[in-house]
Amino acid sequence: MSYISVENISKEFKIYHREKGFANIVKSMFARKYSIKKAVENINFSIDKGELVGYVGPNGAGKSTTIKMLSGILIPTSGKITVDGRIPYENRQENAMHIGVVFGQRSQLFWDLPVEDTFDLYRKMYLVDKTKFKRNLEFYTDLLEMKDFIKMPVRQLSLGQKMRANIAIALLHDPEIVYLDEPTIGLDVLAKENIRKFIQEVNKEKKTTVILTTHDMDDIEQICNRLIMIDKGQIIYDGKISDFKKRAEGENVLIVEYGDTDPVDFILTDTRIKLLQEEGKRKWFKYCKTEINTAEVISFVTKDRQVQDILLKEPEIEDIVKKMYRAQQVEVVS
Amino acid sequence: MRYLSLYLEFYKIKLKGIVEYRSSFFLTSISKFVNYLAHFITIWIMINAFETMGSWNAYEIMMLFSLQTASYAIAGSFTYHITTYLSNWIKDGTFDEVLTKPLNPFLYLASRLFSWGYFGTMTIALVVMIYCFVKLNITLSFIKVLFIIPVIIGGGLITGAMMIFASIPAFWIVENNFVANLIFTVKDITDYPITIFSKGLQILVTLIIPYAFVNFFPAQFFLDKNDFSIFHPAFQFLTPVIGVIMFYLAYKLWMFGISHYKSTGS
Repeated sequence: MSYISVENISKEFKIYHREKGFANIVKSMFARKYSIKKAVENINFSIDKGELVGYVGPNGAGKSTTIKMLSGILIPTSGKITVDGRIPYENRQENAMHIGVVFGQRSQLFWDLPVEDTFDLYRKMYLVDKTKFKRNLEFYTDLLEMKDFIKMPVRQLSLGQKMRANIAIALLHDPEIVYLDEPTIGLDVLAKENIRKFIQEVNKEKKTTVILTTHDMDDIEQICNRLIMIDKGQIIYDGKISDFKKRAEGENVLIVEYGDTDPVDFILTDTRIKLLQEEGKRKWFKYCKTEINTAEVISFVTKDRQVQDILLKEPEIEDIVKKMYRAQQVEVVS
Repeated sequence: MRYLSLYLEFYKIKLKGIVEYRSSFFLTSISKFVNYLAHFITIWIMINAFETMGSWNAYEIMMLFSLQTASYAIAGSFTYHITTYLSNWIKDGTFDEVLTKPLNPFLYLASRLFSWGYFGTMTIALVVMIYCFVKLNITLSFIKVLFIIPVIIGGGLITGAMMIFASIPAFWIVENNFVANLIFTVKDITDYPITIFSKGLQILVTLIIPYAFVNFFPAQFFLDKNDFSIFHPAFQFLTPVIGVIMFYLAYKLWMFGISHYKSTGS
């Protein structure tokens, strides 16, 4: 039996249709038309203790819905979830004692209290004994560099400071599992860096299992050792980050802006390079890193030509998701 | 009750907030005080014009209103903000956070959203109550004095239960204004002795939305009246019992509502 197991989980929502016109509004008071939206559909995965899992996918893919079911906020329409032997949505309160949750878009702080007082409140909420509380607080204050603002009221903190305080709160009671829903959203590079290091450190020190959703590929690369990707409610990738990166590197784009005097019409004799798009003096070339390396591509497309600018576009997570999803659909059809 | 100290902490925090934002607290209290004072004066002027309403004179009607106001102050402190915030908290997803705490969500919300702002309301209610007793020349027996507290608490539970009922639709349809307005409007019926209204309305506020137990029935005990219409005179003692029953039902239904909580995308 694995530590966290998700078996055939589906979650459906009813979406009511809004109709135009007064008569239709009156009619819809009595009988509303609705369709069923499957936020997640028949997903399965299991996670071992101490894993650092990145859970990614485009907006509306079902990431938050999954996290909410794992943390006990939402009840699945069908299927079964167990987290360390507990069913989170049935033993919600008990489960809450063993988990930490951070929603990047929301704050658990009380706007009119100093951060320190908020910590003390959460100490009582999670029945943390004083020595453990003191030890954790020192450890987190140090790691998250909270010393400067720990006595300030929450309303005066910056977004990055608030996020650090929120993460510290979620970990105050040494939860065995932490769910982080977009913990680096809207933060600057330094704050992101600080949080990433912190998560790794906590995982190393306390063997905390971390499940993290994000849109930032760097978060995943630097923190996680496993990636689960979801799109349209279904899991489309589950495996090691290194394997995923191999796939991701499949599609690179080189953008070249040629000088004006150059006769830009030429024939691509190398079939490993494809012309994706052209716009005036700019050309977009697509190639696979596994077939041809970037240096070769550059030397080929710039040979005997005047070049003003070269831009290398790494594949973005959304692009990879799209590509993978398309590939998956093809599989289903064939 | 291992969390008692935590819940008390919330009340302490709110109290600290008052010290920090003193002027805001005083302004709220004064505005509530003046608001209800105006209400009392309106009733007083109106009844002076009519002299009596059914078998009730001006001070007796003001007594009804003061009982209702005292109960409202208690209920409001704990549950008013649940009614007004819940639908917003569900809309913007703040309620998610409530459900990730190892606490009873109802007790947590009632503590977290507790308001000391009804201090002014309670004060005016008690001032008017004492003034009425003096003007009506009623000698308060020991038993009467002892019974006032469970009556106000029972009335608080009934009023609080109604506020909780009003918040419950938010779990299903997100918007709860309609039910809230309906329940608050029905309360206005009991500003006056219910015997001046039709039997249908009397039954509504006694057996269905039992606001009459907040003031109309217990007031008869304090004022030595006998105006029970179609109802049994024993009703004058039932306020605490009805309060506990109604509050329990409201609480159970509220907790049931949570299982229908759908959260929002983020």
